[in-house]
Amino acid sequence: MTKGKKTIAFLGRKRHKSDVGYGLPLILAVTLHALVVGLSVISLPSQDDTPESSSIVQATLVSTETFTDQAQQPFEQPTADVPEESQKTTLPDPGPTAQDIATEQAEAQRQREAEAEAQRQREAEAQRQREAEAEAQRQREAEAEAQRQREAEAEAQRQREAEAQRQREAEAQRQREAEAEAQRQREAEAEAQRQREAEAEAQRQREAEAEAQRQREAEAEAQRQREAEAEAQRQRESEAQRQRQREAEAEAQRQREAEAQRQREAEAEAQRQREAEAQRLREAEEARRAAELAERARQAEQAQNSFTNIVKNLVEQAWIIPPGASNNAAVTLNIRLGPSGEVLATSVVSSSGDGSFDRSAQQAVEQAAPFSELRDVPAEFQRNLRQFNLRFTPGMFADVNVKTNRDVAGFVSVEQHSVC
Amino acid sequence: MNENSMSIPHLVMSASTVVQLVMVLLVIGSLLSWVVIFQRSFALSRAKSAYQKFEETFWSGVDLNDLYREIPADDQRQGAEHLFQAGFREFHRLMPRNSQPDQVLEGVQRSMRVAWSREEERLTKHLVFLATVASASPYIGLFGTVWGIMGSFQSLSMTQQATLATVAPWIAEALIATAMGLFAAIPAVIFYNRLSNSSARLLGKYEDFAEEFYAILHRNLQGREPNTQ
Repeated sequence: MTKGKKTIAFLGRKRHKSDVGYGLPLILAVTLHALVVGLSVISLPSQDDTPESSSIVQATLVSTETFTDQAQQPFEQPTADVPEESQKTTLPDPGPTAQDIATEQAEAQRQREAEAEAQRQREAEAQRQREAEAEAQRQREAEAEAQRQREAEAEAQRQREAEAQRQREAEAQRQREAEAEAQRQREAEAEAQRQREAEAEAQRQREAEAEAQRQREAEAEAQRQREAEAEAQRQRESEAQRQRQREAEAEAQRQREAEAQRQREAEAEAQRQREAEAQRLREAEEARRAAELAERARQAEQAQNSFTNIVKNLVEQAWIIPPGASNNAAVTLNIRLGPSGEVLATSVVSSSGDGSFDRSAQQAVEQAAPFSELRDVPAEFQRNLRQFNLRFTPGMFADVNVKTNRDVAGFVSVEQHSVC
Repeated sequence: MNENSMSIPHLVMSASTVVQLVMVLLVIGSLLSWVVIFQRSFALSRAKSAYQKFEETFWSGVDLNDLYREIPADDQRQGAEHLFQAGFREFHRLMPRNSQPDQVLEGVQRSMRVAWSREEERLTKHLVFLATVASASPYIGLFGTVWGIMGSFQSLSMTQQATLATVAPWIAEALIATAMGLFAAIPAVIFYNRLSNSSARLLGKYEDFAEEFYAILHRNLQGREPNTQ
């Protein structure tokens, strides 16, 4: 129980003494917000330019729509002109809208009412006019009287004023003259003062000039001396320089000559070497060419031999020797071939005296034709083989050629025939 | 007319009802959050200085019984003093009844833990409100802006000529809601971080003090134990 009471007491104390109260923070927060709001209210009216500029911005936007063609040509046109023009253009725009029509109707209505009113007023006016005229007559007379009096007074007033004016002018005139006099005196004094100062100034300047002159002369003298010394120094140096140069040139000359000598020797040596090299090359070339020639000749020989052997074998196989032919008979045929090996012509060069034997030889050649192996021969040797002689001699090597059903084999020898 | 129509009070006054409600809400939130900021700042700084003072007296070699007697029994203290009071009172209550030092120390520790959690609750009070304002008020302001822009477009559809001048005031007054939301949120975020950090540091100090005090009591009890038995 006591404990419970104590805690209750603690709680009460706690609430009483616990933390910082909320009063001061609340006041601080409210003042802070009030400050912020006040700042926003105070600062914004000073920025009056922004709303105006925003309206100007709007005007320029419209103007860019209407003036796009013109605005693109004069780029340098100052922007200040644009809003004015746009104002001009935009102002007529809202004129012919619905509002205008409404205003016109209202205007007409008002006009009609005004006319009726005016009619009534004119009648009343005429009545009043007549009454007023009599009154006005009386008033006019009184006014004319008063007018005359006022004029007389005004005349007197003007005279007095003119008098006063003249007096003031004379006074002013005198003052101006006195002032001008004083002004002249002051100017004269100032002039004299300036002259004196100018003289003193001139005196100082002359002295300074003389001093400067003397200094310049002394300096010029010193300068001249220094220059003369420098000149002498330069001359000595240039003399020594020239001497050194001459020596160096002589040395260089000697060196150049030695160099040229060496070069000439080296060139001669190189020349000799080149000649020897060329000689060697020529020899090697000749040897190579000779070997090549020999090779080609050998190849040609080989090709010719192989071709003639083929031709010989073919003709021998196709040759049917007539039965009555003697072993000593021999016929030589000249044969010309086409490019692909076909026989163009056969002609008897030396006859055997036996016609049938000659014919059999010719038939053998025709039978064996075409000699298509000619195409296998290299082209450069083909021309040599296009024309050749064949010599037919039966019975000499019968044992070699008796292979097939032929009874008697003949021997065909080919004679190379160079074509012109 | 142009001059007045763009000033902030005029814009606020001419805003639609929903936007005005949002603005009022935001103003109240901002006000309360600033109240909390000021109150917590003062309270934390006071707690910090009180802790330093108490620590000085505690470690100055004064007798703990004197120190406890200095504190009136019915005066609830705060901070480290509260911890000390709770722990020492429990120690004194348990000592005559219980001869086992472990149980005495356990009771002391428990009471100090309770006191510490009370202190934590006291120090971090209202900080959650700051966090709520910080995270919610931008959204509230954004809602006001979106609502205002919706209204501006609705009214724009009724006019025949849509120029910038007809839209601009609406959008400006709608954007004021966002500005106010940010105005409420930014200080709340900053001060929430700052205050929660400093309160956490102070609570750490309390914890350290409790451990040290517990160590002292433990040493005392171990030394006294042979005498009592």
